[in-house]
Amino acid sequence: MSIVIPPPPDFTTHEEEAAEFNSAASSRTWYHYLLIFAALLFGAVSVGFVGTIVWNSAPEWAHHTGTLLGGNGWQSPLGPFGGLAMIVGTLETSVIALVIAVVIGLGTSISIVFLIPRRFRNVVATFVELLAAVPSVVYGLWGFLVLAPWMLKTVIPWLNSWPFAKELFGNVGQEDGQSLLLASIVLAVMILPTFVAISREVISVVPNDLIEASLSLGATRWQVIREVVLPTAKIGLFGATFLALARATGETVAVALVAGGVANVQFHLLYPGTSIAAWIATEFGEAQGNEVAALMALGVLLMLVNFGLSLISRWLVSRQRKVLAVV
Amino acid sequence: MSGMIELEEPKAAEHQMRDEIRQISDKVRRRRQLRSTMMVALCAIALCITAVPLFLLLYQLFNRGLPVVLHPGFYTQLPQTPNLITPNATGGISNAIIGTLVLSLYASIMAIPVGVLVGIYLAESDSKLAASLRVIAQTMAGAPSILMGLFAFSFIIRDLHIGFSALAGSFALAVLMLPVIIISSEIAVRGVPNTLREAGLALGAKPHKVSMKIVLPAALTGIVTGIILAISRAIGETAPVLLVIGGGYINSWKPLDPVAAMPLSIYENAKSEWPSLRTEVWGIALVLVVFVFVLSLSARIWASRKQQAR
Repeated sequence: MSIVIPPPPDFTTHEEEAAEFNSAASSRTWYHYLLIFAALLFGAVSVGFVGTIVWNSAPEWAHHTGTLLGGNGWQSPLGPFGGLAMIVGTLETSVIALVIAVVIGLGTSISIVFLIPRRFRNVVATFVELLAAVPSVVYGLWGFLVLAPWMLKTVIPWLNSWPFAKELFGNVGQEDGQSLLLASIVLAVMILPTFVAISREVISVVPNDLIEASLSLGATRWQVIREVVLPTAKIGLFGATFLALARATGETVAVALVAGGVANVQFHLLYPGTSIAAWIATEFGEAQGNEVAALMALGVLLMLVNFGLSLISRWLVSRQRKVLAVV
Repeated sequence: MSGMIELEEPKAAEHQMRDEIRQISDKVRRRRQLRSTMMVALCAIALCITAVPLFLLLYQLFNRGLPVVLHPGFYTQLPQTPNLITPNATGGISNAIIGTLVLSLYASIMAIPVGVLVGIYLAESDSKLAASLRVIAQTMAGAPSILMGLFAFSFIIRDLHIGFSALAGSFALAVLMLPVIIISSEIAVRGVPNTLREAGLALGAKPHKVSMKIVLPAALTGIVTGIILAISRAIGETAPVLLVIGGGYINSWKPLDPVAAMPLSIYENAKSEWPSLRTEVWGIALVLVVFVFVLSLSARIWASRKQQAR
């Protein structure tokens, strides 16, 4: 009779189990496979998202790259389909909107953080975030039915009294209210809440120690803001700017309603124009054959611009986190 | 005598110098204060400039929208196209309301399970797949919504030959909602304290049990908040549905029928030549904005309540 020594029970230590838990790859349960499956599904969706749009635009890229990037004018059923007007229009409207929104938005977030009494600060912040959630079509509607007539009745006659108005804005007074300038204004109003919501947060996380230290050295309120708060928050503010720019370039229906929808390279801001996204929205309904491919090609351009902007903004925001961690 | 004078004179000069220095520093200080007051006032003016158009927008929305939405037929009737005989006929927007509900319902069915699971996966795995999916989700969360429309058009309508339908529209909205749900779920799951997980594991629970019975309930508030915010964003989107839902004029819950949607009705009525439709459009916009506000406010309030309870 030999003594059978029972094998040691299968102990797993706490660390092992935690490690097993943390690396999902080692816990081979149906739950783990479900998670992997969902992740792969999302990966497939994102690849399909980029892939189908690029694939469907391929025929245009193959034959008419030059026209798409540098051609002016869009001949609807058969082509040529020039994308320059939309590219220029997108640049003009979003850059003007961005300049307005950043200058005003920065002042707004500074006053929300430093001027408004603590009691109301949360209310104002919530209000701003609610406004950022207002659907863009509502901003477009407001621009189209309220601002455009106002431009016609008030702003354009006023601009007409300027000496160089004609050279700057075009033949002032002959167009209806829809114009690139109006589109820029509506975009600015629209991205303001987005920009303020982010920049307010970036400014409000600047450590209080820094602010109090410089106040105790005798700095005035503005000196504290300029010398301490803004430099500390700088990178995050750049991130907010790029995010706002990404939103402005991608905006579709608001611009489609107020820009006028004319595919012509236009530097006079009171003339109607269009943007990439707005042009896709207005033309897609009647598009056939090659035109669909050309619109998809514009979509690829938009995607490249947007992805580039959001990568830059995310990189900046992560750098801001590191700056604050050092502080 | 002379010694006293010698003592007095430097004292007087010192006083004079001190006075001068004080005067200069007063001037500098005053200038600094003035500059500070001016710049801070400029910031306050910027706040007012921001507030004016936004208040105007809300005021005009309520002012012009309220008379329309107080009419009960507005919610129950189908739209009518005005013509020369009945130029004021607009009917209601029941098809658009139902269309919006249908679209967000199907989009939620598609996006929520996948989104929450991917969020959990991203929070609990440190594989390369997770890292790259995180970057993809963050990039897609900011993608222009018209691209989702192009995707749904190419995939559902062109490749699968399904046609302009609620399904195509909700697919576009689901792609829009997915990254938002993924990101917020990941943050919520990461926010669950590790001590909870370890306690569960120490009691001998299997990892997947811990994940489902402990981590998921603890993270539920954050996850649901993210879902509501995603839905409220999807409800207001016009561009993706513009290309693919077909704009149906009937009340239909079937996924393969063309449907209407409130943002799309706003877009189309605003461009219409009929004054009656241009009046009605403010009512639709008001209903839509109230929808979105109620959703995002309830998400916010709920999240803060739960936080306080904890």
